[in-house]
Amino acid sequence: MRRPVWERIVFPGAVTAVMLFALAPFLWVILSGFLPEVAILTVPPEWLKYGVILDNYRYIVTGEVPRAYQVGGVLRRMISEEVRAVPRAALNSTLVALGTLLLNWILGAPAAYAYARMRFAGRVATFYFITASRLIPAAALAIPYYLIIKQLGLLDHHLALILIHTALTLPFTVLILVLYFRTIPAEIEESAQLDGATRPMILRRIVLPLALPSLVGTGLFAFMLSYSEFLFSMLVLGSPQTRTLPVTLASVSTNPDVTWTLLSAGTTLAVLPALLLVWPIWRYMVRGLVTGAV
Amino acid sequence: MRGALKMARGFELRPDRLRPAGWRTDTAMAYALAGGALAVVALFTIYPVGYALVGSLYTLSPILPRSFAGLSNYGLIFGSPYFGFALRTTAVLALATVPAVVLLGLLVAVLLSRPFRGATLVKVVILLPWTIPAATGGVMWKGVFADAWGALNATLYELGLVHNYIAWLTTPRLAFLATTIAQVWAQFPLAAVLLLAAMQAIPGELYEAAALDGAGGLRAFAAVTLPHIQPMLVVVTLFEILVALTAFDLIFALTGGGPGTATTVLSYFIWAESFKMLSFGKGLALAAIIAGLSLVLIAALMRLMPREALVGEGR
Repeated sequence: MRRPVWERIVFPGAVTAVMLFALAPFLWVILSGFLPEVAILTVPPEWLKYGVILDNYRYIVTGEVPRAYQVGGVLRRMISEEVRAVPRAALNSTLVALGTLLLNWILGAPAAYAYARMRFAGRVATFYFITASRLIPAAALAIPYYLIIKQLGLLDHHLALILIHTALTLPFTVLILVLYFRTIPAEIEESAQLDGATRPMILRRIVLPLALPSLVGTGLFAFMLSYSEFLFSMLVLGSPQTRTLPVTLASVSTNPDVTWTLLSAGTTLAVLPALLLVWPIWRYMVRGLVTGAV
Repeated sequence: MRGALKMARGFELRPDRLRPAGWRTDTAMAYALAGGALAVVALFTIYPVGYALVGSLYTLSPILPRSFAGLSNYGLIFGSPYFGFALRTTAVLALATVPAVVLLGLLVAVLLSRPFRGATLVKVVILLPWTIPAATGGVMWKGVFADAWGALNATLYELGLVHNYIAWLTTPRLAFLATTIAQVWAQFPLAAVLLLAAMQAIPGELYEAAALDGAGGLRAFAAVTLPHIQPMLVVVTLFEILVALTAFDLIFALTGGGPGTATTVLSYFIWAESFKMLSFGKGLALAAIIAGLSLVLIAALMRLMPREALVGEGR
């Protein structure tokens, strides 16, 4: 039996088109990071005529000025050190995101356990308070957040950003973990309780090991959100040494002394973790998050 | 099935299956366990909202003495033509991106809902735009649309479709179009993944029954798929409306609100008022207006929705 025409042509065509849309900016950024600037500035475009070079990456890593800058016009002689802040910014972002991930686990897991398994006064009200807190638009909170952080004396400290990112991600973490904890059969916990185990012991010894996939999932989610967050990072972190990746890249991209090819190399380095993490994110977070069974 | 449906169906805070040892000790223990999370969320919710509401009544600036201003901040905002521009731009952006994101997400979910070779690879690739920071996405699209060296102009020129480079980012309408495309690109993966999850939670027997009744393809989609994913569709739509109303990072990196005010959305306007003009009071009043607008919109949408579709708010 011949398969219908939409299955042979329309379906693969549509899948290819969507993939191309998703990938196109990545492909362009990765490619142009290996090109000299002249290759993209000529009309008509001659992307590959001048060959593939590593100068842009060499500059970011070692500070050796790309040849195109040395022979270029007056404008291009000026080269910003800013793009060299990219590796440092990636490190900052990773540290903040790791802190956010840990704090989400430390605060989120016990809270989720209380909401999933315990009866207490104010449970419904506080639960709705936590989940509804994210309905307030982030931009509305920018100035008050800035002032809170200033009063805490944490301006320009990564801890400030970790706290903010935790407040932004915790509602989601608690929500998802509550759903997961509920899928664990209560009988195991009941028998442990009969044996005299306390709530924290049950949480640590029984629930957390069983809920490991959901912990990985929510942890990765918190990590990614923190790694990408821009608005509050820009507000709270002022100095180039503490800046996170989204802030540094946005600032580099508006710097007229930085060429697109150089910026592309920096951007490629910046999105590398995402390219590497996308598979485990799919495996543990997205699939686990929405199917409830990893 | 479990996660997705429960998430979309809402949370019945149903009676416990564990018998509580004693009400009072349980309450103390529960707050000991949940207290940390509650404290962090409260610190960054109650205080900021209160501060914003009170602060919006003052002339507040790091460079000026603080003085009570009553409702004049609100008056200044509603009287400013820029507020009207920003409101209109935001509304048009939401009207353009939300349906596009939901429809493209739905299409991708349908494409991916049947197993085929390489399906996992396709899913991972499609997820990519969502995993990178929105600000970085803005930078990347700037490289695509850039007037003089963008990939789009180069490609169109090579294909002979244009004879002169098009000024994508310096023509107001085109810059808005570019912003819309980039925003859809950044948002459709999440919509696709959530809708796909909801589709995969539908029991296969329903499709078999539909096939027995002679319903295949589109009719099965309308009779089985759509009703079952409706709660998730509602969640995704609400979430995308919120995202569109508060969009900032991507626009900041792609166009910086320009050219002129062509892509100055409300969030960008708050930022500019507060941190470029250093007029915190006005920024706070704007924030209160936007928060009020989103709440009204969300409440209105929720009234239209079936009750069980309401919970599941994400980021």
